[in-house]
Amino acid sequence: MSRLRRLGRLLVGLLRELADESAYGRHLAARGCAPSGEEWRRFSEKRLRAKYARPKCC
Amino acid sequence: MKKLLAHLVWAALAVLAAFCLGGIALNRGEPINSIWLVMAASCTYVLGFRFYAKFLAARVMALNDQRATPAERLRDGLDFEPTNKWIVFGHHFAAIAGPGPLVGPVLAAQFGYLPGTLWIIIGAVLGGAVQDFLILFCSMRRDGKTLGEMAREEIGKVGGLTALLTVLCIMIILLAVVALVVVNALRGSPWATFTIAATMPIALFMGLYLRYWRPGKVLEVSVIGFVLVIASIFGGKAVAQSAALAPWFTLSSMGLAIAIILYGYLSSALPVWLFLAPRDYLSTFVKLGVVLMLGLGILFVRPDLQLPAFTRFVDGTGPIFAGKIFPFCFITIACGAISGFHSLISSGTTPKMIAREWHAWPVGYGSMLLESFVAIMAMIAACVLQPGVYFAVNSPAGVVGATPAAAVATISSWGFPVTVGDMETLARTVGEETLFSRTGGAPSLALGMAHIFARTGGGQAVISFWYHFAIMFEALFILTIISAGTRVGRFMLQDLLAHVHRPLGRSNWLPGMLSTSAVIVLAWGYFLYQGVRDPLGGINSLWPLFGIANQLLAAMALCVGTTILIKMHGARYMWITLAPLAWLVLVTFTAGWQKIFSPLPAVGFLAQADKLQTALDAGAVAAAKAAETQALIFNARLDAVVCGIFLVLVATVLTDSIRVWAGILRGTREATVREAPFVLSQLRTEEL
Repeated sequence: MSRLRRLGRLLVGLLRELADESAYGRHLAARGCAPSGEEWRRFSEKRLRAKYARPKCC
Repeated sequence: MKKLLAHLVWAALAVLAAFCLGGIALNRGEPINSIWLVMAASCTYVLGFRFYAKFLAARVMALNDQRATPAERLRDGLDFEPTNKWIVFGHHFAAIAGPGPLVGPVLAAQFGYLPGTLWIIIGAVLGGAVQDFLILFCSMRRDGKTLGEMAREEIGKVGGLTALLTVLCIMIILLAVVALVVVNALRGSPWATFTIAATMPIALFMGLYLRYWRPGKVLEVSVIGFVLVIASIFGGKAVAQSAALAPWFTLSSMGLAIAIILYGYLSSALPVWLFLAPRDYLSTFVKLGVVLMLGLGILFVRPDLQLPAFTRFVDGTGPIFAGKIFPFCFITIACGAISGFHSLISSGTTPKMIAREWHAWPVGYGSMLLESFVAIMAMIAACVLQPGVYFAVNSPAGVVGATPAAAVATISSWGFPVTVGDMETLARTVGEETLFSRTGGAPSLALGMAHIFARTGGGQAVISFWYHFAIMFEALFILTIISAGTRVGRFMLQDLLAHVHRPLGRSNWLPGMLSTSAVIVLAWGYFLYQGVRDPLGGINSLWPLFGIANQLLAAMALCVGTTILIKMHGARYMWITLAPLAWLVLVTFTAGWQKIFSPLPAVGFLAQADKLQTALDAGAVAAAKAAETQALIFNARLDAVVCGIFLVLVATVLTDSIRVWAGILRGTREATVREAPFVLSQLRTEEL
């Protein structure tokens, strides 16, 4: 059961990483601020600019 | 005792791998079950991972968990962040998995299932996974440097600039060829076209939702987006059955090509948060989900392969693309066996997330093995179709004949019986008007996937849904690649043009942004236009060009890898990268040479141009077709030039690398290993 729970946590962790939600969480923690529209926009602009300057695989 | 048992288990696995590989290699004359391919691939991957990759990690790279990685030393919470190894594995796999491993094997199945399958398995274990792993290791030891930066540092300025130019050229060909795959999948299909068109407003809705209504809730909006996309598949069926709406979504190849070119321009110019990012999130989740579903579906259904081990087209007379097994099988399947593009990912985000050096072993080597398994699944999906159906779907009208009767007569004469009735029934079952000459690989892959999914439950009643689901899945992430690729191409072009006129390098300068986007879109748009007008379907000329380009980038990455290995160990371990490098150089230069200079018009671009020119000069071309023929002649010569440029670029890097290697081995050149200095890791296990 605990293995299943660990697998579930891992899966959610992967989905959150792919969705940039983990990175957003780290961004909030580093700046010590609460989630807000303004903060998300600040984070996502920086994140997405870097993300889409790199080639995507074929 | 425990050790002896472990040895016995590994020996049994090796025997099983050899037995399955032997089984698929020696089987002739009767259908073979797909489980043989699954077992042969899985056992070989496990052995390669446990023994070869571990040898590379321990002896060659000397991975050391005590050494702090860039993720720990340069931790910034954004790019550099120590991350759980399985999360990095999934992240890296999602980044390297594109349409290549799905489309390439489907096209290469024209030789039969065996050549492609063996290349996918052996190429990945000894070439592709080694390249990905080694470049990841090199980048990780160099603070996450990119391939271009490493090429410049380790080989020289020429290497760095050549890498940038090669990537730009490959991007252009890649975008054209994947756009052509989508055009051929959507042509004359209101159901598929509506479904894909609907994904655009869905993406815009997701972008606004994420920006203004529920900021940061990416998973939540992706679930909503997925539900809407599934609804759009059902909507597409209603549209296709509506006499009023169907004509609006029934587009010709040229109409679709123009729509995709406009889409590429607009989507690269729109704010990234509004369109590209939400679409990318959705496409990534759908892609991973479908790969998982296909794997489970194959294990559950265990279908028989209908295509033989070898077809008559090993002699180079194939209808899908011309050319013999060597070298064309090895450039048609790139991403499933070895792909240069992966080296850009291995030196991109991934090295900045690796928490411990040994994590690079499963992430770098293991992810490529999984990608290779995706290619095996695509091969199975293509080969479960009846051979006659497979060739009827994938052969261009210019080869088999423009009418259904002519096409089935030609294909049946090759020994692959199929009737017009069979094809009509199949088209009706999946909700399409016709399935003849739907070149590009996507429709036949969708047919194979629908066949497998439908057999897991629902049967013929749901096959049309699964066919359009598969088309939606392929088109969704191909169109995302087009948006992202156009944007990346623009940045690369701006980097280059900044040397000429500084403002052009600024990504926020509107005139520069719009003009460079237009240049990139026009570049790939031209090749797409050329592919659409090509009577042989375009895939015949564009896919080999893409394959050659991608493998040449792999050769470049292996040059960088070899240089670093020589600097680390002298000549001792250079065979690890030199063997796949020598093979790639042999394959790509032979393919490139044949594509340019082969006297056979079906293979050589120049021979094709000469044949058309002769016909034109002799007055054998109708006056109405003269301008079109002139354009085809120009295109064939242009393709020859592009192919020549690829070969020159890589010959330059190869020569430069050999000069460096010889200098180091002779002792006339300094062999400095430019790794970041050793810092003891302070990372605690519970932090991961």
